[in-house]
Amino acid sequence: MTTRSKTIIICGGGLAGSLATLSLSLSLGSEYHIVQVGGINARHEDHLYGGATDPGSYNFLLRLGLDEPTLMLRSATSFSFGTHFRQWLDGRSWMQCHHAPLPTPSGIPLRHYLTRENAGLEPLLISAQAALAGKFAHPPADPRSVLASAEYGYQFDADEWVALLDRKIGETSARRINAEIRSIIHESATRSVVNLDTGEPLEADLVVDASGLSRYPIEAAGGTFRTSRSIGFSLSKTPSDALGPPCRTIDADETGWKATTHLQNARHTLRVSEAGMASDEAAAHTAALGHLVEAWVGNCVAIGHAASVFEPLTPAPMMMLQRDIERLLELIPTHADPGIERREFNRRFRNDVEHVAIFHGALITIDSAPETEYWRAAREQTASGKLDRKLAQFSNRGLLTSFDLEPFNEEDWTIAHWGMGRRPHQHNRQVDGVSDTQSQSELGQIRNSVQQLVTKMPPHHLYVGKLKQYLEKQNYA
Amino acid sequence: MTAAALSHKFKDLNIDISLVESDHIGTVGVGEATLPHIRFFNQALGIDEATFMKSTEATFKLGIEFCDWGRKGDHYIHPFGDYGVPIDELDFHQFWLKLRKAGGTHRLSDYSYPILAAEQGRFRIPEGDLNEIGSNFGYAYQFDAGLYAKFLRTFSEANGVRRVEGRAVEVGIDGESGNISSIKLEDGHVIEADLFVDCSGFRGLLIEQELKTGYDDWSHWLPCNRAVAVPCESRGELRPYTRATARTAGWQWRIPLQHRTGNGHVYWNEFISDDEATHQLMSTLDGPALAEPKQLFFKTGRRKKFWNRNVVSIGLSAGFLEPLESTSIHLIQEGITTLIELFPRDGVNPLDINEYNARMGLNFERVRDFLLLHYVATQRDDSEMWRYFQAMELPDSLQEKLSAWNARGYVLQYEFGVFLPPSWVAVMHGQNLIPEGHDPRVDRYSIADIEARLEQIRLDTVREVETTPTQVDFLRRHGAASGSPLVSAGKM
Repeated sequence: MTTRSKTIIICGGGLAGSLATLSLSLSLGSEYHIVQVGGINARHEDHLYGGATDPGSYNFLLRLGLDEPTLMLRSATSFSFGTHFRQWLDGRSWMQCHHAPLPTPSGIPLRHYLTRENAGLEPLLISAQAALAGKFAHPPADPRSVLASAEYGYQFDADEWVALLDRKIGETSARRINAEIRSIIHESATRSVVNLDTGEPLEADLVVDASGLSRYPIEAAGGTFRTSRSIGFSLSKTPSDALGPPCRTIDADETGWKATTHLQNARHTLRVSEAGMASDEAAAHTAALGHLVEAWVGNCVAIGHAASVFEPLTPAPMMMLQRDIERLLELIPTHADPGIERREFNRRFRNDVEHVAIFHGALITIDSAPETEYWRAAREQTASGKLDRKLAQFSNRGLLTSFDLEPFNEEDWTIAHWGMGRRPHQHNRQVDGVSDTQSQSELGQIRNSVQQLVTKMPPHHLYVGKLKQYLEKQNYA
Repeated sequence: MTAAALSHKFKDLNIDISLVESDHIGTVGVGEATLPHIRFFNQALGIDEATFMKSTEATFKLGIEFCDWGRKGDHYIHPFGDYGVPIDELDFHQFWLKLRKAGGTHRLSDYSYPILAAEQGRFRIPEGDLNEIGSNFGYAYQFDAGLYAKFLRTFSEANGVRRVEGRAVEVGIDGESGNISSIKLEDGHVIEADLFVDCSGFRGLLIEQELKTGYDDWSHWLPCNRAVAVPCESRGELRPYTRATARTAGWQWRIPLQHRTGNGHVYWNEFISDDEATHQLMSTLDGPALAEPKQLFFKTGRRKKFWNRNVVSIGLSAGFLEPLESTSIHLIQEGITTLIELFPRDGVNPLDINEYNARMGLNFERVRDFLLLHYVATQRDDSEMWRYFQAMELPDSLQEKLSAWNARGYVLQYEFGVFLPPSWVAVMHGQNLIPEGHDPRVDRYSIADIEARLEQIRLDTVREVETTPTQVDFLRRHGAASGSPLVSAGKM
């Protein structure tokens, strides 16, 4: 794809489609025609992105021209230090926060001290304590500040973000067509024809399937979606003048779980349960959980929910979507035969899918989960050799086994293990070289610093309010 | 290295460490060049760099120069650092590829601070923003391995390690567990232990001779099986890099230290006799030989289990990969670091063994692929050995990497493994694999824009190098050995 103009058609008008369209438009030169065909996917499917992002979204959005002032002033976006599992399995409760690398006193990972002292992790995490107290402030650049260890993502309304993205797309040369796709004929590995209900045929060198759960383009190319379980989901939006805490909250019950995101002007509650539950309003929509065997087939690349569907227990759905787009940008074909790009895309996609699945599995793998249809089905999805290895190594001696390019880092895993009540049977022997007094003193210092700082931090709503006032004064609006 | 690291890390614990070694058993003496990771090893032990430099006659190393690998007459440096700096988060080499197609004439190396500094014999320690030109590089050492061993032995003994001089002649096995319970020395002295670290070299005294662990033979990928090594007097300028020169049936190393130059010829005896290999080596030394050449025999590969029962093999007893990219000491370091993380508390746990073996297996495999790259990313077919590699069916992982590079200059991404994408770029580009295409995202920049940006980076790089002292000057201030002849003679 180097000598003549190329056309990339993005099928899908939702969050995935708009993010991909803007990303491609801004990243590729004028020899690429970017065409977005909207209307193929239902907007409610974007609710499955969970309304929360991880810290990686800051740079991702910034590259698209969506900076934080824009998000704060032109949408109800708020900050997110993570997800508060308020009422999780067997009564567990913890803040699955975003955090910079944890301290390593005397060069030894913190978790080994905690194991020996039988101490809690959460009081040492500034982003957890701030979120639980409903406080927020931007982490400073100065690494000496305790707050510098906090990392944050966003809580957002997908519909609003699509609107922001669409405005940005309007500033690019991308063509947008509001039409339904009638058929797609993949003529070869490098050429497809997309027929619209307007009667217009569009030729494409590459088709991006951002159609959400319909997956028409990728299935027309021969893609196979692997699923063994479906869920029901619905989103309710409650107007609210009072901005809640800088975190999502998740509560489980016997039939599933619900997540609440706290936006500037509303509370969104996403309810997830087993699909097909009789007379359950929560099951307003259904989605098959799973993933494509290969997300790039022929000249069609699936992204977002068209490629994989995970319960939005964590920011994983948004993380996957970002990774899908970044992978695609890195691998825009350069030759008539995109076999190399396809194989590499699929290799990384499979790894990402597997690694998200094992992280979610780690949040569900528990003997005492309710013996209900939903939780039985959820547990059955967790079998994985990699997860077994991770759990066994952590339980044995607090070792964090890692694999190539995992989306969730060591801090995520440490916090999740602790939150799920897992404790290593033994600590690393190096800790024995540090006296109890010394380690208790160091842990105490961190704990006190965190507590003191949290008391000084402003409530989330006040911080956002002041930030907006400041931005408006600076004429950001 | 193992005794030093364990004694330092566990010095406050009730762990008795014995170092059993014999002056009658020589050391191999290869692997005197290192990777930047060695600095972290020394730092973790609290070793002062200047003291280390003086004690081991060490020099600084900014990379490895490869001569005659792509084609005879070629040479390139694999630097410890990036080329240029990313532009709008896109890899620098992608811009260079586009400019080259448009007529750009500067070498990719011209945008690399460590390469230019190495070529001019300059060195300084990177400081400041490590993403900036002039700081975005790493460095390693070239040292006398024998002196380093002595240095660490002293360090270990100061940390409570009991050194026992002697040769093991008998091994005691626990009848119930099958673990090794003791070793008996020539003088009848018996040493009992809960854990044994086998650093006995190729023979694998405990891991193989006693436990029959087995060996994965990688000779079909890396068939060189012999080496001859000899030190010689230093001559000429002291360059801050190791040199690896391809030969008809192997390759030759040259490692400049303060007091001498280490040399060796690694070869495949199928295609060259020992005498001829020795002759080739001796006839290409910089100066007079300082010792008789020493012959080495090896088989590339790895132990089937690095940790078996209560024996952990580290170093040559764990496996051997030719020191083409200075990985021998690095793999020792990886083994030690992993052992410390998994050090047993109450007996050996199979979970620890499995984890150790999985991690070290991955380390060895990824190094193997990178070494093999040097032999197959070549246009040479002027001898039987090179034709063997031309006809070789590659591991899928390596084949895919080559294909992706050749097509678009893309380096397949992995997180673990010692060699990061810049290293792959250095070798593939250095051995004349010029990608057909480039990242299409670069096409949104005009040629004039790219030309201007790259020229600025090149000039910034040149300026940084010009303000860098020579290695000799730097060494004089930071670690010159007192008796170093070149330093005292002012030749360096």
